[in-house]
Amino acid sequence: MPRPEQKTIQLTIDGREVGAVEGAMLVDAAKQGDVEIPYFCYEPKLGNPVGACRMCLVEIEGIPKLQTSCSTPVKDGMVVHTQTDRVRHAQNAVVEFLLINHPLDCPVCDKGGECPLQDITFGWGLGRSRMIEPKRHFEKPLALSPLVAIDRERCILCYRCVRFSQEVAEDYQLIFAERGAETYVATHDGHPYVAPFSGNIIELCPVGALTSQPYRFRARPWDIEGAGGICTLCPAQCNVTFTVRDDRVLRVLARDNAGVDDGWLCDKGRIANQSIHVDERITKPMVRDGGELREVSWERALETAAGLARHQGRTGALAGGQATNEEGFLLQRLLREGLDSADIDSRVGRGVEASTLRALSAPALQASVPDLEFAHTVLLVGVEPLDDAPILDLRIRKGVRRNGVKLAIASARPSALDANAAHIQRFAPGGEAGFLSDLIGALDGSATSTGQGLSTLATLLRDGGEDVVIIWSERMGNEAAGQLGRLAELLGLPGRDGAGLLEIPCGANGRGLREAGVRPDSGAGLAPLPGATNGRDALGIAQAAADGELTALYLLQTDPVRDQPDRALWERALHSVALVVAHASVLTEGLREHATVIFPAESHAEKEGTVVHPDGRVQRQRIAIAHPDEVRSGWAVLAELAARAGVDIDARRSADVFTELAAAVPFYAGLTLEEIGGRGVRWPEREAAGAAAAAADADAAPRTPNSHRSEPVLPNQGQLRLGTYRPIWAAPECEISPALKFLIPEQQLELAPQDAEWLGIGHGDEVTVTQNGTRIHARAFLRSAVPAGSAFLAEGIGGEESANTLTEPLIEVRKV
Amino acid sequence: MKTILFDNIDEPGLNTLEVYERRGGYQALRKALSMSREDVLSEIMDSGIRGRGGAGFEMGRKVSFLPHGDMEKYLVCNADESEPGTFKDRELMQKSPHMLIEGIVIAAYAGEIARAFIYIRGEYQLQADILEAAIAEAQRAGYIGQDILASGMNLPLVLHRGAGAYICGEETGLLDSLEGKRGNPRLKPPFPAIEGLYHGPTLINNVETLSTVPAILNMGAAEYAKIGTESSTGTKLVSISGDVKRPGNYEIELGIPSREIIYGLAGGPPSGKEVKFWFPGGSSSPVLTKDDLDVPYDFDSLAKAGTMLGSGAIIVADESRRVLDTALKLAKFYAHESCGKCVPCREGTNWTHKMLQRIYTGEATPMDLDIMASVQEQIIGNCLCVLGDAMAMPIGSMVAKFRDELEGEIEAARERADGAPLEDVVALGVADEQAGPMPVH
Amino acid sequence: MTPSVPRFAHGSRVPGWDDAVDLTKDPAVVPDPATTPVPEELRAEIEAAMAKYPDRRSAAIPALHAAQAVYGYCSPEGIAQVAAVMRLTPAYLTSVATFYDMLETAPRPKHNDVFICTNISCSLLGADEFFDAMLQAAGTDETMHVRSFECLGACDIAPMASVNGEYIGPLELADAQQIVDDLKAGRPVLSEKQIRYRRSVDPGAGGADQATEFGVRRGAAQVDTAGLSEADAASDRPGPAAPLEYPSEENEDA
Repeated sequence: MPRPEQKTIQLTIDGREVGAVEGAMLVDAAKQGDVEIPYFCYEPKLGNPVGACRMCLVEIEGIPKLQTSCSTPVKDGMVVHTQTDRVRHAQNAVVEFLLINHPLDCPVCDKGGECPLQDITFGWGLGRSRMIEPKRHFEKPLALSPLVAIDRERCILCYRCVRFSQEVAEDYQLIFAERGAETYVATHDGHPYVAPFSGNIIELCPVGALTSQPYRFRARPWDIEGAGGICTLCPAQCNVTFTVRDDRVLRVLARDNAGVDDGWLCDKGRIANQSIHVDERITKPMVRDGGELREVSWERALETAAGLARHQGRTGALAGGQATNEEGFLLQRLLREGLDSADIDSRVGRGVEASTLRALSAPALQASVPDLEFAHTVLLVGVEPLDDAPILDLRIRKGVRRNGVKLAIASARPSALDANAAHIQRFAPGGEAGFLSDLIGALDGSATSTGQGLSTLATLLRDGGEDVVIIWSERMGNEAAGQLGRLAELLGLPGRDGAGLLEIPCGANGRGLREAGVRPDSGAGLAPLPGATNGRDALGIAQAAADGELTALYLLQTDPVRDQPDRALWERALHSVALVVAHASVLTEGLREHATVIFPAESHAEKEGTVVHPDGRVQRQRIAIAHPDEVRSGWAVLAELAARAGVDIDARRSADVFTELAAAVPFYAGLTLEEIGGRGVRWPEREAAGAAAAAADADAAPRTPNSHRSEPVLPNQGQLRLGTYRPIWAAPECEISPALKFLIPEQQLELAPQDAEWLGIGHGDEVTVTQNGTRIHARAFLRSAVPAGSAFLAEGIGGEESANTLTEPLIEVRKV
Repeated sequence: MKTILFDNIDEPGLNTLEVYERRGGYQALRKALSMSREDVLSEIMDSGIRGRGGAGFEMGRKVSFLPHGDMEKYLVCNADESEPGTFKDRELMQKSPHMLIEGIVIAAYAGEIARAFIYIRGEYQLQADILEAAIAEAQRAGYIGQDILASGMNLPLVLHRGAGAYICGEETGLLDSLEGKRGNPRLKPPFPAIEGLYHGPTLINNVETLSTVPAILNMGAAEYAKIGTESSTGTKLVSISGDVKRPGNYEIELGIPSREIIYGLAGGPPSGKEVKFWFPGGSSSPVLTKDDLDVPYDFDSLAKAGTMLGSGAIIVADESRRVLDTALKLAKFYAHESCGKCVPCREGTNWTHKMLQRIYTGEATPMDLDIMASVQEQIIGNCLCVLGDAMAMPIGSMVAKFRDELEGEIEAARERADGAPLEDVVALGVADEQAGPMPVH
Repeated sequence: MTPSVPRFAHGSRVPGWDDAVDLTKDPAVVPDPATTPVPEELRAEIEAAMAKYPDRRSAAIPALHAAQAVYGYCSPEGIAQVAAVMRLTPAYLTSVATFYDMLETAPRPKHNDVFICTNISCSLLGADEFFDAMLQAAGTDETMHVRSFECLGACDIAPMASVNGEYIGPLELADAQQIVDDLKAGRPVLSEKQIRYRRSVDPGAGGADQATEFGVRRGAAQVDTAGLSEADAASDRPGPAAPLEYPSEENEDA
């Protein structure tokens, strides 16, 4: 749906002529005229104003009563007064009322010094209270969840936290209970407020009522500095401000960027900063010595790693999602130029082929994050935003709730967004390709028969408005992705503003690494490799290593035993090769058992470099804190190893590498770090994007004919189809963050109640999941929304119970 | 005077369709359906009838604010009669439920509305049962539901029972409650006529107002407008209670002297006592004294006297009563019923309640009366809805009109409690008004 | 000085303010029907209520009333069951339930509700004294839920009470024991003082000559819940409980 047109009007505030967008709220318009109107409850990100705090009352000529400026849209010619005696009287009154029951415990309050109530009392209060009755006192602080403490004395009932829970995250766990002055923030029957975005309420609270359990009393506002950065713990790449005290990141706050995160953070991004400063983190280089990993000098570690030179043509490399573009660029140069190997990948499993990607990366096909808010229809294919790029979950909800965006979900596993969807299409795990080809058939009329659901969906997409955004996951694989071009074409998406495709890659910087050339089938800028020099993909690398064809592995911030499918194969691969060089900050199981050299990796607060958001926004990571202990920059280590391997490289700063990268990628041409700045810049919107368009045209996507579609395997008697997903909390950073440990998922088998019934399994029972003699343990989790015949297991969780232990599509389940 | 609403209201079986029809019931609806919607609306407009719920807004204008066109529009009958002292709708619904239903259908016809609700307070269980039975009867007889009287008009009517919250009588609080939420009032604008129930344009009227509509259609707007005064047309049910001999509901012609209601109809206070103060329009209206007994009972005259007609509920207190007792009941009530959404009401009602309690315990000084008056001023006009004002206005009027008595109470309570003499009391927490705000550095 | 103003202090009178959450519990998300069994009758009642409205959430209050009828109060389990049927979070319903006076969230056995109006008109005429008498009469019986209530909308029979929804008044102190006795005996409570039989006092209502058509047999075992049914109207007991003298110039007090 087209974004509303903006018309500028003129109004007078305190005698000043102020220009403002028509329909903007007066309180915002006043800022344009440098007039500050105080408020507590107003927060446009939370939806419609509630007008509860009454702090923003102003006088508007022609209206007898004072009006709340947070809820009054400006009109042309409006005359507003914010400084009259009447207004001041009302403001003084509200401050006095608010302080009736607010304890003046500011000296011991965590919010002190950065508290809106303090500031507004100072600026707009009378500085006295006539209330001599004793204030109320309650137990405090109390736990609201393991992450959030609540201090009910201090609460001014501004509605912000409950509105967040109810109208933004829509988890509706946080509520007001009771009525009148007895109203308090609560949950149902003492259940904790645990939800993926719960931490945002801490930042929203205008008093010290909601405080962060991990941050409480760690610093005063005058002890700290803020440093802008990017969270690279998932592909959503939210913009953050690190709160730094004495070179330690004590807190992470949102750094509102409408193009990326809309000012919200998930709890992983907010709390996992703890992983930067824990003993479990690797901060010294290590080398395996006599079967044991031992801390060594950098020189010794580099020397050992330089042994890669003995594995020319027999080295494979994987880059994890947290690697920057610069690191990826250097890694592929090291591999291709220094070690004469093309076996390099940044994907999980097989991924999507370069030619398909080039076509789907055409700038004309790229949707942006804000498009999700204004599209007519958003279609999710095989993607669960909550797990794959959490902050997008909130953006989709916002579009549906506020702008009437129609949401269609096509997935095997029930989605957290199901309740918001206008249409839900369930298929068997792995059924994306079949679904897409059926949908295309329904749209272009080539299908002989179309199911009821599919034809409803086809109608919704075709007739529900032109602006359709399709979010898809790299996980769906090449066969499915190959059909997206045709689907987009049928819906008229190419070239349409506000419509297009948005891919969620598996790694946080999956898109940047791919564009930097960390793929076996394309170089920098997704360019085809000269001749038939394509290397092996991730799975191929594992196979080749296990078979002895590869003898060394380079693991840049990834542990394939945990991150890649087929755990057993990777264990064999790592076991077989002679040299495993890794950059890591957490000693996950694959590295603990098999790494030869480990370089301590930087956290996202220490890195300098660039990353690319799934919608093509190139963003800058900056150094917020110095490297702890002996950590060194990843790019510098790679540059050093490349130089030792004879690569002609001149990189003295990370910025030098970026300059080289920008020169190597045609569609980054002319891009500078200054241009990227603090908000990032979407390359598909730049002029140089034409290069990518040309590449896409030259490489018309091969259409997968319908006849070749692979059907999901049919289960035999007593079997279930297995689908896997990577939960939001399945990350080593969560495992070593003390405050997040309670969220670490234990393996659970989600299955339909019907299946549980014939299997004789009850909710919470322990079960075994068996396949080809491999067995894992899980707890049964009955879920009505799971289609009968399907079952789901988590991957990415540590240990043998992870779903990547299983490789086949069918499982047998038994109660223990 | 001819009664309109209460005409033979005690006739046995009037709550049944049979008796109601025998008395000419649903003829007004037939008449309305034979007219154009516009004509029915102008009848309502021309009658000049003002809302009987409290605000006194002209019903016809409210209907005319509804947008036209293809959209879901709603009619909500406000039967959440909770204003202390008010019980007129209770008697109407209990004894003549079909009159209300007929009024709802006619009003819906005038407003092109296709779905209606009656929100009745949960405590009115008998009345709700009677209404439910009447709705079922009317449904069977084709007066509501689909294709009403073969006119093509549809109007499902659902009775919704509340669960005990005064604030749900406020129209937007009622809408939130009807939507299944906490009954918090909403910001206005948008007004319900533009965006109300389920975001649709919504006409909200009181039981008495809607029950009058059939009579207006039957007798004609012009005839109806002749009753009462020019700006307060028609008859009004007045609930009178407290210190009177014959408490109950009386249907009066608007504009008669208040004395005639209090003394003439209700018999005045029991023998030998005089009226001390009285609420003319429910507990939210500023109190009047015996000097105001000749104020004509209509919207404008009462407004001129500094109070309001409100819901038309008179509570009389005779000279044996203490103002303090009533003030405390009042403050306690509003503090209990404040929804807690906006600050001045939530905190102001509670603060006032505590100050009044302190008078009883001998912990107050006359300065507290100044603070109390000032707190009421700080509430009035600054709240999200009118509940805060509903306490602040009567309390303010009591402090102003009975200051001497309240000071006497303070003094006496201090003596009882063995408190320090007043001249030795340092007013804690009260800064020197001249000192101004805290110094700014 | 004897400070007797009720103070807020630790251990406040507001339930919940001093309570932390129980960190061992799971978050209360929308209950999955697969793991939340609901009694069939309760489910049917909730579903019927939901069907009446364009938006299912409108049925929150009726559904909570239904759960309260089953469990005696809106118990956490009852709320979870309503939530499962209505596809809402339990917290949504807790928020609603705690807002309204007639929905109970504190544990309570199935009980008789005795709500005594102590608002202005009733208290002018002795409601506070009656409330004390009622508390005394009820004693420690847990099945008697005696509470003071804000204006119940029946000031014409002040002081009054609502007993299990039945409005009775004007009350005298002796009626308190009678209410307890009637409830225990399973009789209609103070049937001669029930508002369903009260006639209009308005002389204009023109019903004075029909006074005999209203009323109820004193102590009648069965009272027609339809209230003003013809059976009652035809009963031969003259004279309602409420005063029915109509004002005229002659009997007006000086």
